[in-house]
Amino acid sequence: MTYVVTEQCIKCKYTDCVEVCPVDCFREGDEMLVIDPETCIDCAVCEPACPVDAIRPDTHPDGIRWKELNERLSLIWQPVTVKSEPLPAAEGFAGEAGKFEKYLKQQLEP
Amino acid sequence: MSNLRESTILTVHHWTDRLFSFTATRDPSFRFLSGQFVMIGLRTEAAPIMRAYSMVSPSYAEALEFLSIKVPDGPLTSRLKLVQPGDTLLLGAKSSGTLLTSNLVPGHRLFLISTGTGLAPFMSIIRDPEVYEQYDRVVLVHNCRTVEELAYRSLLTSELHTDEWIGTEVAQKLTYIPMVSREPFENQGRVTDWMRDGSLFNALGLATRHEAEDRFMVCGSPQMLTDFCGIMADWGFMEGSSNRPGQFVIERAFVDK
Repeated sequence: MTYVVTEQCIKCKYTDCVEVCPVDCFREGDEMLVIDPETCIDCAVCEPACPVDAIRPDTHPDGIRWKELNERLSLIWQPVTVKSEPLPAAEGFAGEAGKFEKYLKQQLEP
Repeated sequence: MSNLRESTILTVHHWTDRLFSFTATRDPSFRFLSGQFVMIGLRTEAAPIMRAYSMVSPSYAEALEFLSIKVPDGPLTSRLKLVQPGDTLLLGAKSSGTLLTSNLVPGHRLFLISTGTGLAPFMSIIRDPEVYEQYDRVVLVHNCRTVEELAYRSLLTSELHTDEWIGTEVAQKLTYIPMVSREPFENQGRVTDWMRDGSLFNALGLATRHEAEDRFMVCGSPQMLTDFCGIMADWGFMEGSSNRPGQFVIERAFVDK
């Protein structure tokens, strides 16, 4: 088991998680972060650090759906280890449902 | 993993055939907060093997100390248990963890609940002067299967009380409750049972828990964590984090997989 970043990160990217990760397993895209499952040690520190509850175990009902996305994008995106400002409209997007379909799915299609 | 540093093993102490602790040199630039963990490991012919270990040593100590189980065939602990003074220990650059007083809302009593090697982060916390400024009483519970697994018992019951740096605070405010589950002992049983039936609070002269006063930090086996979280849910206590301090925080005791 590892942890995964769910669609709740999209358009928010608070990046509190990258500060607390002991193994620097976060990878950064324009709209969200993902966790590299090869690097994650399952320490669980990042899950409560996220202000919008975007991180879940990959076995959790809310996490399982994002496992493949984290695996795939962590191979392409670059490591991020330093916290930055959230995306400009982060507060407005926090908690919105269906963010992946609305804001990211098309970008990721070839 | 990037940013590995080298440190040198200074001393090794074997508590039982399944439990040992060791100290290692500390780079002055390596900082941590009481209760945090870091990745440590050993170089092998293949890639380095790294695992998360909580610092046992206080944040102001010159050397770093760690407590470990010995897992038969464990990739790291089967090698780590053989280390000798002078050997090289690998150390990650970044400390982390959730067992921080800043993740808790203010209270009067701080309960530090551990099983097995889950004691480690609390050995650091109980030697932090700040924790005694924040709490009137600090209660350390160490629950093991057998008496011989109660590591640091002598330090906790006597040496620490005369420590020149922290002795006064320890003597006035720290209560150490060793518990054993699988053989006769003065405190026999499981700490989670003691929480549910009130024995833990009775031992301190209290009738029961007080939501406004009691705070909990927990580190231990998955089974104990599950039981503990069930109790917190029943009591209506909330888990704390850096964004939203609460009444308890948990960390799993990291076992070698």
